[in-house]
Amino acid sequence: MSDPGADSGRLFLELGSRAAQTLARLRLARDVRVGCSARRAVWSDQRTTLYEYLPDAPPSALEARGGGGTTPAAARGKGRPLLLCFALVNRPYILDLQPDSSLVRRLLEAGFSVYLLDWGDPDDGDRLRDLNDYLEQGLGACVRHLLAAHRVPALDLIGVCQGGVLSLCYTALHPKQIANLVTLTTAVDFQTPEDLLSKWVRELDTQLLARAGRVPGELLNALFLSLMPFRLTQQKYVRLLTGRADQRAVDDFVRMERWIFDSPPQAAVALAQFVRWFYQENRLMRGTLELGGRAVDLKNVRAPLLNLYASADHIVPPAACAVMGRHVGSTDYTACAVDTGHIGMYVSRKAREEIPQRIITWLRARGRVTSPR
Amino acid sequence: MTENPFTTAFPGSDAAFTAAAARFFDLLRTFTAQPSGVQPPDWTSFGSLLAGQFEQWLRSSPAAGASFAAAAGFPGAVAGWPPGALPLGPAAAPGAEAQGAWELLMKLGELQGELARHWSAIAQDSAQRFMARMRAGGGAADLSADGALALYETWVACAEEAYAARVRQEDFCRLQAQLTNTAMALLLAQRKQADTLARGWGLPTREEADALQRQISELKRQLEERTQPDRRTAARPAAAARRAKPRSPQRAAKPGARSPRGSPRRGHR
Repeated sequence: MSDPGADSGRLFLELGSRAAQTLARLRLARDVRVGCSARRAVWSDQRTTLYEYLPDAPPSALEARGGGGTTPAAARGKGRPLLLCFALVNRPYILDLQPDSSLVRRLLEAGFSVYLLDWGDPDDGDRLRDLNDYLEQGLGACVRHLLAAHRVPALDLIGVCQGGVLSLCYTALHPKQIANLVTLTTAVDFQTPEDLLSKWVRELDTQLLARAGRVPGELLNALFLSLMPFRLTQQKYVRLLTGRADQRAVDDFVRMERWIFDSPPQAAVALAQFVRWFYQENRLMRGTLELGGRAVDLKNVRAPLLNLYASADHIVPPAACAVMGRHVGSTDYTACAVDTGHIGMYVSRKAREEIPQRIITWLRARGRVTSPR
Repeated sequence: MTENPFTTAFPGSDAAFTAAAARFFDLLRTFTAQPSGVQPPDWTSFGSLLAGQFEQWLRSSPAAGASFAAAAGFPGAVAGWPPGALPLGPAAAPGAEAQGAWELLMKLGELQGELARHWSAIAQDSAQRFMARMRAGGGAADLSADGALALYETWVACAEEAYAARVRQEDFCRLQAQLTNTAMALLLAQRKQADTLARGWGLPTREEADALQRQISELKRQLEERTQPDRRTAARPAAAARRAKPRSPQRAAKPGARSPRGSPRRGHR
């Protein structure tokens, strides 16, 4: 017969040892690097920067500056540029987090000329910046710059999460500038029953919010964590005690942590507009959205469209994304639910293998003449 | 020249891990402190202990508090937003403004009380779900490390289920919005007080700064229009080439043709 006192003593000894080991690994991972592909800024305006990823540069988390002017290196070659547009509420380096988990790197290896729009950090002077400013002076300016630099009439656009929503809007307003559109975890219906964020902000006073100035990123972090607080603030750490997390796994864990807690602040006016027009009034799906005095009609999105979303997404429910096909004007529309969660779309094994391959195959089938480097 | 572009401050996973692990060990201590030799364990008393600890955590956790805990001075508030009371105190501003700010603070207190009732209900529901699951599973306690971790997984699953059920209810969602709205109103009330003080001292106010900001934005837009009269043309070489050719009289005279830049920009200002 076992002695309960001795059993619990052994239990605490074993788990205590695992905790000490895990803590040591976490401390070793403190300075872990995020972002792995070489890139350089080719355009910038206020906070927004357009980066070109450099396919021939050695793989490192280094950023080249100066020395090459602002003409994209890829523009010297041929082919349509491929622009990545991420959300305003998170940092885009999740798309290039580490060598074995980098959508950017996979696209570069497939021969694409890859660019990324980084929205940067709005400061107090940006507190009046609105969604149309972001769309036309941010995304639009990057698109125009690339079209001129590459001397092409249209580019390929990958919009991610909220960046996908902006990409849809931009494509609807400027359909001729977008040759192919890929959306990742992009909502069109912001009022699906599963959407907890939508329920929470339904009665938010957006007029007050718009006057609040700059909304700190920490508030958004807390909001996202509070969707599943026990899993996201407790369980994920305790799971490290299983003893199966070696130093490499802990390094990966810390990279993700860094991204999760690194949300940029938000310009209050733009955030208030997004909450009101998209979440509270569901204007995108209802066809009542106007930006800069122009109607955003999704039927104007006629470019071939690949819609990838996560089947277990707790932030953007799959049903919110799945309806896209019914509202856009694309006759070449492909939708695919990937068996993972919201963040899993960027860093899970699925993200590492299935998602880049789907995008590459789909783009190649639509006029991309590229060969692997 | 090269440099690492990612230098943003990071709170530290080791600190977060230490806190979560400490809570896990607390739970284990509660579990193993039950009278020895009782098999199956007394899940009812364990559940009530769990509920108490859990409720305490809910009240203090920033993640579980989120925006509704962002009221000035309340536990779980996100540092810096909305800010705490003015350093000079409400009494330094005219009476009506100070009174308004105090009323908002009082309202926040009431709403926090309502929120605490939700936390209590979630904690009770979590414990009940956990006890039911343990009883259904036979209830034998496995005091190995893996057994303890499995027990913890079950507990978290129950807690998330109870939380999800409660926070989707209409009254909770409404409370969430009321808390955030009241916190934002407090922020604006405090800012108004600050403006009043600044005006009294001959300093620029927030309203004046906003007005200047709008003027600058408008001037920049006008400048951009003058220097780049047709941004779309620049972006579309093919279209630009076509435009360079003489237009047909019919097209040139077409009524209601849109300006190259489209409709004037309308900001939500």
